[in-house]
Amino acid sequence: MNSESSRGAKSIAAIKAALLYSYPLLLVLLAWEVAGYLELVRPLFLPDVGTVLSQFWTLLLSGEIVGPLVVSLLRAFAGLALAVIVGVVAALTMARSKWLRWALDPLISFAFPAPKIAFVPIFILWFGIGNTSKILLVAFTCVLPMLVATYHGATGVSQQTIWSAKAMGTSESKLLTRIIFPASLPYIFGGVRVTVPVALITAFTAEMIAGGGGLGGALMYAQRFFQTPTVFVYILVMLITGFVFDHFMLRLRSRWIPWQDDTDAA
Amino acid sequence: MFRYLPLMLFVALWQAVVDLGVVDRHFLPSFTQTVAALWELMQSGEIAWNLWVTTYRSLGGLAIGSLLGIVLGLLMATSLAADRFFAPLVATTYSLPKSSLIPLFILWFGVGDVTAMLTVVLACLLPVIVGTYQGVKAVPAITLWSARAMGTPAHVMLRRILLPAAMRSILTGVRLALGFCYVLTISAEMIAAKAGIGKLIFFYGESGSYPYMFGGLLAIMVVAYASDRLLIAGMDYLLRWDDSVHASAEHE
Amino acid sequence: MNRISIQNLDKRYKTRDGDIPALGSISLDVAEGEFVTIIGPSGCGKSTLLYILGGFIPADGGTIRVDGKEITGPGIDRGVVFQEYALFPWLTVIQNICYGLEMTGMPRAGREQVAHRLIRTIGLEGFENRFPRELSGGMRQRVAIARTLAYDPKILLLDEPFGALDSQTRETMQDELLRLWLAQRKTVVMVTHDVDEAVYLSERVLVMSKRPGRIVREFRVALDRSGSREQTVLSDAFTRLRNEVWLCVRQQVGGG
Repeated sequence: MNSESSRGAKSIAAIKAALLYSYPLLLVLLAWEVAGYLELVRPLFLPDVGTVLSQFWTLLLSGEIVGPLVVSLLRAFAGLALAVIVGVVAALTMARSKWLRWALDPLISFAFPAPKIAFVPIFILWFGIGNTSKILLVAFTCVLPMLVATYHGATGVSQQTIWSAKAMGTSESKLLTRIIFPASLPYIFGGVRVTVPVALITAFTAEMIAGGGGLGGALMYAQRFFQTPTVFVYILVMLITGFVFDHFMLRLRSRWIPWQDDTDAA
Repeated sequence: MFRYLPLMLFVALWQAVVDLGVVDRHFLPSFTQTVAALWELMQSGEIAWNLWVTTYRSLGGLAIGSLLGIVLGLLMATSLAADRFFAPLVATTYSLPKSSLIPLFILWFGVGDVTAMLTVVLACLLPVIVGTYQGVKAVPAITLWSARAMGTPAHVMLRRILLPAAMRSILTGVRLALGFCYVLTISAEMIAAKAGIGKLIFFYGESGSYPYMFGGLLAIMVVAYASDRLLIAGMDYLLRWDDSVHASAEHE
Repeated sequence: MNRISIQNLDKRYKTRDGDIPALGSISLDVAEGEFVTIIGPSGCGKSTLLYILGGFIPADGGTIRVDGKEITGPGIDRGVVFQEYALFPWLTVIQNICYGLEMTGMPRAGREQVAHRLIRTIGLEGFENRFPRELSGGMRQRVAIARTLAYDPKILLLDEPFGALDSQTRETMQDELLRLWLAQRKTVVMVTHDVDEAVYLSERVLVMSKRPGRIVREFRVALDRSGSREQTVLSDAFTRLRNEVWLCVRQQVGGG
């Protein structure tokens, strides 16, 4: 088969696949446009697509998207970083220390299902409505999933692997850093991947509840003044943000952890 | 009992930290203060009412979302056309933080049950769809073939074969959704609501009555914990036949 | 009329780079009540042939007729037992065995009667309400066989049914299968890679070539199975036949 014609055929196939994939989304957009055109719903409730898009452009130019977005992202990732450090260290130590396991297990079991967002007023009481309270709330919400994911990885190292390392003279601390930590990396990464959306949601929601800037604060502000197109724009921005980071995480994982065969770390 | 000792130690530490003045009582009511406030709220019926509101919004939304999710997941897993249609929609909304829709829903439906439950339903849909889809796709071909060889008609296949075989994956999705449902209800209640534990906690926070705030928080933590344990017990019962690798790893 | 009649059966696997033939024009007939085994090197397509017979995958050419009629899919006339048992893990032993009967519409009382009888036959009394996860490999395979026998299909298709068992359990199971067949005389088509098993159980052994699989040789097995296993297996007739078949298969493996 001629390689040129097969390449051409492949790109046509790719375009076809892309169209096939996006047609439901286009259908939704179409329905939205039609509803606006036929004036089925009041513009207050459902502005038409054009209005939303032009408002998006306006806000983008005036910096009212990028500004709040950056604030929210900083809070989310600072909190996530904190959660990763604390969670990973705690999990690795728990994996090797029986009494620490005993001490933390029931606390973790009780705290895990708790809706952490309910702690927003406490965090406001303790840390105000600025960045600190949001960052700490994000950290608080993300630390347990990170801990559990890391713990899974750390305890999954086979007994035989550990025995081999010990037989070759590995000390307890070296065991942790040279064996258990690398073995847990895929799980840590899986944990981060799952927790990034949690970090984002927590930051946005905390801002919606308590104000203090950020995308969530901007969204609530627009809603309070019935600026519906702006509300749609901010929701769209949150969607795009989540989407971008999720894909980013997927790419990163295949680059940094190529040795892992896809087990349950996802 | 020994297992719960750390919890009791934690409570004791909490109490000590406040009683010894290490932390200001104003900012951190002690355990006894919190329990006393909670007791008062129980007497007045305030806690019961608000817990009930939050619970029915959360679990009701979970039930509806799970049911819809299972149906959609089954549909997508068994029909290529359905898969092609819904998969892009599912993938796109996957990245959307559902709580961002709360202000929009408040605009559309006001500040009540509809807003909260609709948000919960939307948030619970996704994990259940994914769990159902993956569960059905993972059913081994020979299981399906055996059923067909024994004359199972198509409509029976779904209910008697696909659903039980995919059960573990489906229930894992439901457990994930359970984690979300309280968070979303409380988010909606804290953003703007007339009733619910979220509103209660927020209200007492705003008015400076911190023991009541902590009391409400403790109450919802207990309820969330109890629902999770109940689900696990239910899962253990429904999946008592399951031999797979995951069977033991679930108890987290 | 033959129970099973296969004419010029073809099967291809479609890949990115073109079609790979899996089966090469297979023709074979199986008479009513006959026990036929198909044996051959790994990957020769013997299981594929069985799956096509079962109606699970379609053929690409040729015809398959059961009792004169072409097959259109799986059916209760062709019962199947897989190597990995394919029991329904969420049903108990007795529920699994009753399943096929339930599909035929038999009322519960009747079903349970049949199931209990079969449970006694396979020696699993006391295990009626256990789940498959609680049983050993040999016990699971017995349940799988009982499940298929319960609704009395005319034909039994066995896909390496004892492949997952240890050799001692395998021998016990082979004897049970032989006993059941001698009593009921169903038409059986079995696929295996175990030469001893093929000669011990069947009346005809068909050897397949490497892919694309073709039937290269047919052996008629005329053994006196009235005695014990020891008598049969240690007899000269068995040994001679077994060696011939083994050699034939080996040639196929070696590409000779």
